[in-house]
Amino acid sequence: MTDTALTPAEEDDALAAEYVLGVLDLPDRLAAEARAKAEPAFAARIAAWENHFAALNDGYAEAPAPNLLPQIEARLFPKPERPRFNWFRLVGAAGLVASLLLAVALVLPRAEPDFVARLATTDASLAYEAQFDDGKLTVTRVAGTAAEPGRVHQLWMIAPGQAPISLGLLAEAELALDYPLPPPGWLLAVSVEPEGGSPSGLPTGPVILTAQVGA
Amino acid sequence: MTDDPIAALLSRVAAQDRAAFRDLYRLTASKLMGVLLRILGERAEAEDALQELYTRVWLRAGRFDASRGRGMSWLIALARNLAIDRFRARRETASDDEAMEAVVDTAPRAETRMVALGEAKRVTDCFATLEQAQAEAVRGAYLSGLSYIDLAARHGVPLNTMRTWLRRSLLKLKECLER
Repeated sequence: MTDTALTPAEEDDALAAEYVLGVLDLPDRLAAEARAKAEPAFAARIAAWENHFAALNDGYAEAPAPNLLPQIEARLFPKPERPRFNWFRLVGAAGLVASLLLAVALVLPRAEPDFVARLATTDASLAYEAQFDDGKLTVTRVAGTAAEPGRVHQLWMIAPGQAPISLGLLAEAELALDYPLPPPGWLLAVSVEPEGGSPSGLPTGPVILTAQVGA
Repeated sequence: MTDDPIAALLSRVAAQDRAAFRDLYRLTASKLMGVLLRILGERAEAEDALQELYTRVWLRAGRFDASRGRGMSWLIALARNLAIDRFRARRETASDDEAMEAVVDTAPRAETRMVALGEAKRVTDCFATLEQAQAEAVRGAYLSGLSYIDLAARHGVPLNTMRTWLRRSLLKLKECLER
């Protein structure tokens, strides 16, 4: 379905405008997105049209939105299930003797992290260890190498029945972030993505590793 | 950018500021709900999309560039793309098969979201150079995310005619914008 009267530049411009308007059917829309990713010039045409059409945004009427923040935040920021151990209550309850013992305990290194998950291929040629401890998640590559040049391993958290949430790229041997231990049933996954990470915010490449996490 | 509170909030969200994220939701959810509802048509689906949208906002706020456009325009572009992708996937897949939807949803997306300042008047002026029916068709397509199939049905013309006609309008608009 090509207008023969159009020059190639006009054709590209019309296609970019059609993409931004949203009139394309799904295959054409996906093809246009793929082109925008591969061709900066075409992406620039799309950006220009988005810029132009933003002038029409006043045409969208507001609609009452329920407060969905609790659900959104539950997807993004899982809360730890167990309350943290309260040292101060212990001190108050047990008095001087206990506080002396506590002083010793505080000098000793922490014995165990809250939870450790291992993400490994069946032959263990590639493995990551995910350690949840005190509201922090540290993911360390313990076997194998980073993704091939031009690719990157991306880490995802998947709550039951929800879309994956990116936790970051595993380009280096270790990734550390603030992330509490999620409830049971949640999954960590690693996919192979283009350099810079998934362009869509969801896994686009093969998911190579998964592991259950949760207290 | 002091005249754009949404842009300021987006920068704070990019820095993982959860309080700013809540403020952003309070300030923008009604407008974005309006966008999703207009395109998706069903409140339950629009509410589901709204959750997905703000999840993306949290994850992608770092890509917003205040020097290239207003915060609200960036949010609306994100909302439109999400809604149009969902609507096309719903309409064009043979079944409601979740796996198929997942495939569609993971397709790459155009990343550039440049919306420059001070464009609105020029664009409005150029819309005025189109015939009224043309301008209305372009405007309706943008706001409702209608496909060529929907537009052709609405205007009672064959799909190819609709496409040729709309493309002419778009190129005429472009010619005016570049003048």
